[in-house]
Amino acid sequence: MSNPQFPLEKIDDYRWRIPRSYKPGMRVPGIVYADEKLLKDIFQDKALEQVANVAFLPGILRASLAMPDIHWGYGFSIGGVAATDIESGGVISPGGVGFDINCGVRMLKTNLEFADIKDKVKEITYALFNDVPSGIGSKGDIRVSAKEEQEIMLKGSGWAVGKGLGVAADLECTEENGAIQGADPDAVSERAYERGKAQSGTLGSGNHFLEVQVIDQLYDRDLCDTFGLTLGQVTVMIHSGSRGLGYQVCEDYSRSMVHCLQKYNINVPDRQLACAPVNSAEGKAYLGAMKCAANYAWANRQCLMHLTREAFGKIFSKSWQSLGMELVYDVAHNIAKIEKYNIDGIERSLCVHRKGATRAFGPGHPALPEKYRKTGQPVIIPGDMGRNSYLLVGTQRAVDETFGSTCHGAGRVKSRTAATRSINAETLLKELSSKGIMVKASGRGTIVEEAPQAYKDVNEVVDVVHNAGLSKRVCRMRPVCVIKG
Amino acid sequence: MSRSKVRLLHGPKIPKQDLKNYELIEHTADFGIRVKGKDPEELFKNAALAMFDCIAAKTNPAQRTIQARINQEAEDLEELFINWLNELLSLSAIKEVIFTEFNINKISDTVIQAEADGEPAEAFKINTEIKAATYHQLKIDKSAEGLQAEVIFDV
Repeated sequence: MSNPQFPLEKIDDYRWRIPRSYKPGMRVPGIVYADEKLLKDIFQDKALEQVANVAFLPGILRASLAMPDIHWGYGFSIGGVAATDIESGGVISPGGVGFDINCGVRMLKTNLEFADIKDKVKEITYALFNDVPSGIGSKGDIRVSAKEEQEIMLKGSGWAVGKGLGVAADLECTEENGAIQGADPDAVSERAYERGKAQSGTLGSGNHFLEVQVIDQLYDRDLCDTFGLTLGQVTVMIHSGSRGLGYQVCEDYSRSMVHCLQKYNINVPDRQLACAPVNSAEGKAYLGAMKCAANYAWANRQCLMHLTREAFGKIFSKSWQSLGMELVYDVAHNIAKIEKYNIDGIERSLCVHRKGATRAFGPGHPALPEKYRKTGQPVIIPGDMGRNSYLLVGTQRAVDETFGSTCHGAGRVKSRTAATRSINAETLLKELSSKGIMVKASGRGTIVEEAPQAYKDVNEVVDVVHNAGLSKRVCRMRPVCVIKG
Repeated sequence: MSRSKVRLLHGPKIPKQDLKNYELIEHTADFGIRVKGKDPEELFKNAALAMFDCIAAKTNPAQRTIQARINQEAEDLEELFINWLNELLSLSAIKEVIFTEFNINKISDTVIQAEADGEPAEAFKINTEIKAATYHQLKIDKSAEGLQAEVIFDV
């Protein structure tokens, strides 16, 4: 595909290279996973320029990677992956994680079928809307003291489970068991503490959501059997992050790391790519603080799942256990992780930035729980509220090619302002209703901003990661009840 | 330094782009604003007004006033501009307040000292959440008429 402004080299049908010669200062090439159709959307904004800019980061290995849901972000594009070699001065960048640290998604199954809920759609939607706090700056019923907040930062989901808001099995089905090790609450500012205190157990606003979904396609029957998933089965998806705490951690460290550029003689073309060597005092402090926010986000999604289970329990007058509401998996899609990879025959510790990208470890990976050791890691890809969401599994090819990473969602194609201008909320709600989708949002604005037309078709995005071998389709869901912040 | 006050007269929702003191900038995932000012004081004040105008619209009558002090330092005007806006966002989240009035007591390229007045967030209809002001595509241009800034927010 030719574009006068952008010299992309075709590697194969799903991979495109931005050569190092594109911009002096690029340490590695850029590699974009997309097909020709998605590339047309990608060319519409300056995301590829950002992929090239990320290639400037000291210590970056192999390539600055872009997933098919890539779109223009700030500093890093959304849908970007970059791994730096820690021992050779590799850096960590708060911009490579984003403001919403450990924004992520979890999926739980039920033993209900669509027939069981089809006459209760309104009741379920309203119950979830009322029982799960959502909206801008929303405050949860779960109020914590500063001391407890520190415990959340260290224990993540485990804190919630300890409070009776879940069971041990939930932890096994969460990336990092719901608590990444090495969190340093002392690296978190007073301001960040304050900003996080009242928001645990809240969904948040914007693209965050809670959806009741129904499985409408099975791609791999064996995997579906293993996961206990079947056609017509009701599932629930929760998308949320670390709320104000994460924003403040990102802001604090983006601010201080701007000064690291000079201190460590780092040349990057965009201040939002401010970074510091992972092994520097600044790098270590950010990593410790980021982990606190990540753990807070896992605790948050655990609380949200608890509230969801309770709401279902009330509606069906049964315990969540007898409704079979088990967690399938929980993944982070805005995070930096220290992971080991074999680079040219030598095992090295890398700092893998996933900003709008999901970990996708293949079968046999030691980080996976016994339950998923044979299948590969479940990968949860939410789509927009009018189309579909997916469950996939990670692959060895992802580990080999993309530092165990795949896409994270549909990816925006239309700006919020453009969506607001061109889409009428009433018409949209009617259209969704005719497809059997009921939407409830705290802000009317959110409904149009998050309209399906504002997103790429998630089916096309998932086709690319499946065909490129970065993950494998298991099943697809369609939304029935949508709760938006 | 004068202590002029600029008050918001109306708080429209995001799509309205006919406000006098700012224009919206489109961006795929986020949005931004373009603001002007005859000097840094007016520019910073207008940017803060515009940002909170995007966030919320007043719906209930005046309640108690909440005040905050802002003291920020930076290496240059651009960094100071981002720090100013982010400090306001952060204080707004913690104090659960929407700021509508800004008094800048001192401003240079590297220092700002100001007070912000606002009212409790529950007196407003919240239109959008802004997580942070970013350096992405940040521009502050000087011309004969004064200053113009462009900033993209993470929303």
